[in-house]
Amino acid sequence: MTVLLECENLAVTFDIDQGQINAVQDLSLTLSSGECLGVVGESGSGKSQSFLAMLGLLARNGRASGSVKFRGEEILAANRRRLNELRGSRLAIIFQDALSGLTPTMRVGEQLAEALRCHEAVDSAQARARAIEMMEIVNIPDAANRFSAYPFELSGGQRQRIMIAMAMICRPDVVIADEPTTALDVTVQAQILRLLDGFRRHTETALVMITHDLAVVAGLCDRVMIMYAGRPVEMAPTATLFDRPCHPYTIGLLKSMPTLRNDPAADLPVIAGQPPDMRKPPPGCAFAERCALAEERCREERPQLRQVGGSQQVACHLVSA
Amino acid sequence: MTTAILEVDGLSVSYSIPGDGLLGGGMRSLQAVNDVSFSLQAGETLGVVGETGCGKSSLGKAILQLVKPSAGRVIWNNRDLCGLTRKSLRPLRKDLQIIFQDPLSSLNPRLCVGEIVAEPLLIHAPELSAREREQRAIAMLERVGLRPEMALRYPNEFSGGQCQRVSIARAMIVEPKVVVCDEPVSALDVSVQAQICNLLRELQRETGIALLFISHDLSVVRYMAQRILVMYLGRIMELAPRDELFTKPLHPYSQALIRSVPVPDPAMPLNDYPDALSGDLPSPLDPPSGCVFRTRCPKSTPICVSQAPPLERRGDRHLVACHHPEE
Repeated sequence: MTVLLECENLAVTFDIDQGQINAVQDLSLTLSSGECLGVVGESGSGKSQSFLAMLGLLARNGRASGSVKFRGEEILAANRRRLNELRGSRLAIIFQDALSGLTPTMRVGEQLAEALRCHEAVDSAQARARAIEMMEIVNIPDAANRFSAYPFELSGGQRQRIMIAMAMICRPDVVIADEPTTALDVTVQAQILRLLDGFRRHTETALVMITHDLAVVAGLCDRVMIMYAGRPVEMAPTATLFDRPCHPYTIGLLKSMPTLRNDPAADLPVIAGQPPDMRKPPPGCAFAERCALAEERCREERPQLRQVGGSQQVACHLVSA
Repeated sequence: MTTAILEVDGLSVSYSIPGDGLLGGGMRSLQAVNDVSFSLQAGETLGVVGETGCGKSSLGKAILQLVKPSAGRVIWNNRDLCGLTRKSLRPLRKDLQIIFQDPLSSLNPRLCVGEIVAEPLLIHAPELSAREREQRAIAMLERVGLRPEMALRYPNEFSGGQCQRVSIARAMIVEPKVVVCDEPVSALDVSVQAQICNLLRELQRETGIALLFISHDLSVVRYMAQRILVMYLGRIMELAPRDELFTKPLHPYSQALIRSVPVPDPAMPLNDYPDALSGDLPSPLDPPSGCVFRTRCPKSTPICVSQAPPLERRGDRHLVACHHPEE
């Protein structure tokens, strides 16, 4: 296992009319080849912005600081040319909305071939052959003919497959999947998850799965990072996280999830309240306001992410090491 | 609790959409809901599940006459809603309310939430004074978990979950008998979703309203509904009590839907899942002959191509439309 991505103290801020929003803070993680990391959080938790920042894809009013190294090379400060070499070939991303992720006026096969030709010395016949091969791998029926289809002619599931094919066609080291199944029906979601799972089993590609759905990470990811209000609050191997969740937010999330197993007659245990307004974050623990266990200290002092047990990290004053 | 309060009989909805011709020449008809019949019992929640485009939202809207059904009847208090004029429908709307998926776009941005919640009373309880309307609106806001002083704020100042609480308050203030909930929690964050589900369940316990709960999320529907209707391409595939549907689904489509739900258990890796459904939903403009599900069905045989299976009773309250149901 080679370390591919090393991220240290990543912070993302956005300038807005009323000042500044600290969308991500204190994010440190490493990602190794062949690994699958789940990143779970609600809207506004900073889960997507963290990884967009790593790829230099923040909106214009966004700034990232800290350090992000890809195979030892600092990329947070890299110039656009270097980033363009890396993006698409070594570091790829799959967006949630496949329709707006594809160029509407270009045939899907050509978009795939273009991704390849940008990064590898292939002629157009080779690029076409590889694109069709890739479409077959992601189970697009009748791939040779579908090469000439426009995005609007494909179903939502097929478009997401094309996005996955495009991300995978240069055999990248890291693929970041940003809520790739959220817009899809549950039957199609199952197909896409299996497809991603197949890729990560049969290649050395590291996969980052960004989602709000803990059930999605359970079967797919090796490790999970839970984010809340811009910070990681818990990080653990998937089995440990589901077995022994430590952070009260993680515990609450797991309990409040309706599943096909819990007793439908009982009310769902809920996390009261809602995430804090990121324009005026609380001084202490961001979760304190919603936490049933919160003490005075939680409201005043922000807990740092620290090791509990062998492989689990948690940011909570009330969890003993 | 076996009195039907709302009877849906052979309901169909079709939309005409522009055909292939240049300048939209030739309209084609899209059958979104096809011959759907069921009854809603007093105080129950009937879940409606299915994939995008299966007609579940059209069904909800057609029941309330928000889209005009092309055929069939909706019987409410011995009257067929489909035959009524807008004017004669109006007083009946007090009893039949709806909550939409997108909480922000279904609230008027120019009214403060106190006004939004009080507005239905203007129509349905004109005898109330402005002061009484305000008091009721505030009481209703408190009932759904919002503070009285929030009545003066505007929808854009609220989070998605709070907006959905306002929508619920607006629907509940006229003391309806039936509320159609069209994906009411799909746009919400996980932790807020559970709050809204619990709120709807509490309100139902207190008031005895019947809910038609439309959702694509089987885990949520299982938690909300006592009976579940499974739709595919506008038709009913299966209608069964909740526990029966989840423990022994008879229709291959229901089985596939249930199998596709990810299990939040790391001990169950993805490649251990039984084969999920292959392929995508066929175009509703050009549905398959015979059984509409046959193109994705592992059990399809020649009879499925030639004949649409009728919805038949299997067991006490269990209906299924399949030539080869699981026995």
